[in-house]
Amino acid sequence: MDHKSQLRTSHQFEMGSLEGRSVHEPEDKNHICGSENITQKSDLISVSEGGPFSGVSLVGRMEMLIYGVCRSIKTVIFSNKLNFLMPFGPLAIVVHLLTDNQGLVFFFSLLGITPLAERLGYATEQLAFFTGSTVGGLLNATFGNATELIISIHALRGGMIRVVQQSLLGSILSNMLLVLGCAFFSGGIVFIKKEQLFNKSTAVVNSGLLLMAVMGLLFPAVLHYTHSEVHFGKSELALSRFSSCIMLIAYGAYLYYQLKTEVHQYAPLNEEVSPSVSGGENVDNNDEEPEISKWEAIIWLAVMTAWISFLSDYLVDAIDGASKAWRIPIAFISVILLPIVGNAAEHASAIMFAMKDKLDISLGVAIGSSTQIAMFGIPFCVVVGWVMGRPMDLNFHLFETAVLFITVLVVAFLLQEGTSNYFKGLMLMLCYLIVAASFFVHVDPTNDVASLET
Amino acid sequence: MGPADERMELDSDEKIPLSTPPSARKSHTFDFEAVHFSPRAGPLKLWIRKQMKFRPLRSIYIVLLTAKINILLPFGPLAILLHYLTGKHGLVFFFSLLGITPLAERLGYATEQLAFYTGSTVGGLLNATFGNATEMIISIYALKNGMIRVVQQSLLGSILSNMLLVLGCAFFTGGIVHHEKVQVFSKAAALVNSGLLLMAVMGLMFPAVLHFTHTEVHFGKSELALSRFSSCIMLVAYASYIFFQLKVQPNLYGQISQEGAHEEDSEDEEAPEITQWEAIGWLAILTLWVSILSGYLVDAIQGASDSLHIPVAFISVILLPIVGNAAEHASAIMFAVKDKLDITLGVAIGSSTQISMFVIPFCVVFGWLMGQPMDLNFQLFETATLFVAVLVVAFMLQEGTSNYFKGLMLILCYLIVAASFFVHVDPSNDDD
Repeated sequence: MDHKSQLRTSHQFEMGSLEGRSVHEPEDKNHICGSENITQKSDLISVSEGGPFSGVSLVGRMEMLIYGVCRSIKTVIFSNKLNFLMPFGPLAIVVHLLTDNQGLVFFFSLLGITPLAERLGYATEQLAFFTGSTVGGLLNATFGNATELIISIHALRGGMIRVVQQSLLGSILSNMLLVLGCAFFSGGIVFIKKEQLFNKSTAVVNSGLLLMAVMGLLFPAVLHYTHSEVHFGKSELALSRFSSCIMLIAYGAYLYYQLKTEVHQYAPLNEEVSPSVSGGENVDNNDEEPEISKWEAIIWLAVMTAWISFLSDYLVDAIDGASKAWRIPIAFISVILLPIVGNAAEHASAIMFAMKDKLDISLGVAIGSSTQIAMFGIPFCVVVGWVMGRPMDLNFHLFETAVLFITVLVVAFLLQEGTSNYFKGLMLMLCYLIVAASFFVHVDPTNDVASLET
Repeated sequence: MGPADERMELDSDEKIPLSTPPSARKSHTFDFEAVHFSPRAGPLKLWIRKQMKFRPLRSIYIVLLTAKINILLPFGPLAILLHYLTGKHGLVFFFSLLGITPLAERLGYATEQLAFYTGSTVGGLLNATFGNATEMIISIYALKNGMIRVVQQSLLGSILSNMLLVLGCAFFTGGIVHHEKVQVFSKAAALVNSGLLLMAVMGLMFPAVLHFTHTEVHFGKSELALSRFSSCIMLVAYASYIFFQLKVQPNLYGQISQEGAHEEDSEDEEAPEITQWEAIGWLAILTLWVSILSGYLVDAIQGASDSLHIPVAFISVILLPIVGNAAEHASAIMFAVKDKLDITLGVAIGSSTQISMFVIPFCVVFGWLMGQPMDLNFQLFETATLFVAVLVVAFMLQEGTSNYFKGLMLILCYLIVAASFFVHVDPSNDDD
């Protein structure tokens, strides 16, 4: 904040006659009123290109650039409390290079990715302001789970196919049970007098898609398990790749359907984008205006993606070592630990919206994210694996597939009524505890061969 | 002896209170405390003492003789006799089964009567805990003898029989009687119960699949630890379910707990028929009786299976629960015929939920305390059966309406399940 006021005062000294206009300086609070800043910036730009100051325009422009960059950094990096975890990222790299403590490397890179994931979501959201709600919805649909996708692609490259399968599965489970459960529970506690409602039809469509994904996962697994494939091992891979293409088509059609026929109802899934959600008035304290410019958003998107990519490399490499160091099965790390941290930001926002009685947005965050991973993330990884020459398939092995199946059923039943209360939230959370406990004692024969302690 | 004459006249009628002054007498209130001794002591005291002797007799009359089902009562002692005199396990099993049936029904009656005194909250809790006391007692006995498969199968069978047979018969008879309209029930309660049943299936499925796919960290031991952890979670869920019901929907639960509506056209009395202490006393006596008989019952299962040439699985899953649930069966049908489907659902599905989310985890924890390796791994066939049955029932219930066809479907499903268990041999049970 000192940084910024220094720049501000230096500008005031240089462009004296603009003092009148610089009265519009924003106050020092977290959410800067975007419109004022942008107007101010454009004012400064227009002035510097004008007459009397052309002499100092080069220096002025550079200072403006620095000013812009610093302000951008402030907006994106310093305005969110989660970002104090950011130093853990570089720390993880340092620890990796200096010591051999894989457990610590894993832990630190996990902590380091969390704020980056959240900021990635923020940047996507900001970009959505500029692109309109259609492309914005698409953006959110694709990049909503960019973190998981990036981690998965890194793991695929390393040939750790089970880790990919398990981390994606864990992400679905954590979104459906933990995030949704916490949201229902906290919303139910806050609104204990009444029952909260949400849009039944969206929930039912999402449940249907999730069941379709389970079908896509179930068939290769059962085919392989009953040894009834035409070519053992190969048919099931071919089936997985074909099913993945079908699932991607289904997801594309789902997006098209959402954007075309339910323009007003899709907006809530964009997390605080459209004013039509709150009935035409700005009820929540999120701004309607974007906080950074379009190019800044794109650049930040790229920067965040690169950073996450970089860190996930270290993360994925450290999984094996962390499992041995902490004496817990790799399955537990991939299915439970990785997604909890990866979804931390979505978790927080879902709970916040539930407490504000905006359950539709919570559902969009939680169940929409599950659907996205199930119908887009997983098939996409299969196709990427196909392109990369890795045998990534939809055979998630019997235990994981069974867990997913029953979980989807439980959630589908709880959602079909369109109401929520704290008891349903509690049930979902307890189910997640049971799932986590099952994975704590689950050893995957293809993962832990040497690290089994008997 | 004027007033005494009056009192003697009054005394000959059974339904009249024992000794209230006539001015304060209402037709249905009992005032057991106010025993008045007239100033003329001697012969009156004798007479009143005679009156008081009627009280336990009256109590016995009300509790034991007024329900028609109690003609089966003598089978209990008969079973014990047979056990000591002959070696015919088949007959011992059969007779003890018949003997337990009326006791189970009276146990439910005593719980209901006690609920009048404790108010609807504690009454609901009582019903929630002791509603399936018979199954719990039989299971604890079997657990003590180490017959873990019998426990698992009998509890599973109780869930299946409640969900399919009892509910099916209720829907069927209600649908036939009211066939010109569609009967409705509260969708919300049915959905919550379905969700809880699915959660229970989840709790049962994971240990089974984990064990079956040989993917446990420590083969055999991890799955037991997981079962115990899951059982604690399920007990927490059940407790919060009760809490939620009592806080948020007291009316609905109050109805379910007392099974005798506080509404208009019921011919059950609004007032309790026995005193609070009598209710507690009878509760204790009946529990004791049921315990004794289940001892003989459980001991005779193996012998009965050998002599009747039917698998132990069939006996545990189908025969035991049918008899154990006979009373609930009858009351569910009765309420469906009276078009009170919510109560029927409370009896049938509520009982299933109670067994799956309370009794089964309770048995696991109890086994943990006793050192018996009771777990939630009900083996693949039983777990699959439960899973599909829960799905079918959950789908049937989600609409909130009922008709005779749905009832018929549920009954036929139960027949399929029974047939499957008739040809199911459990490797850990039958060694031949």
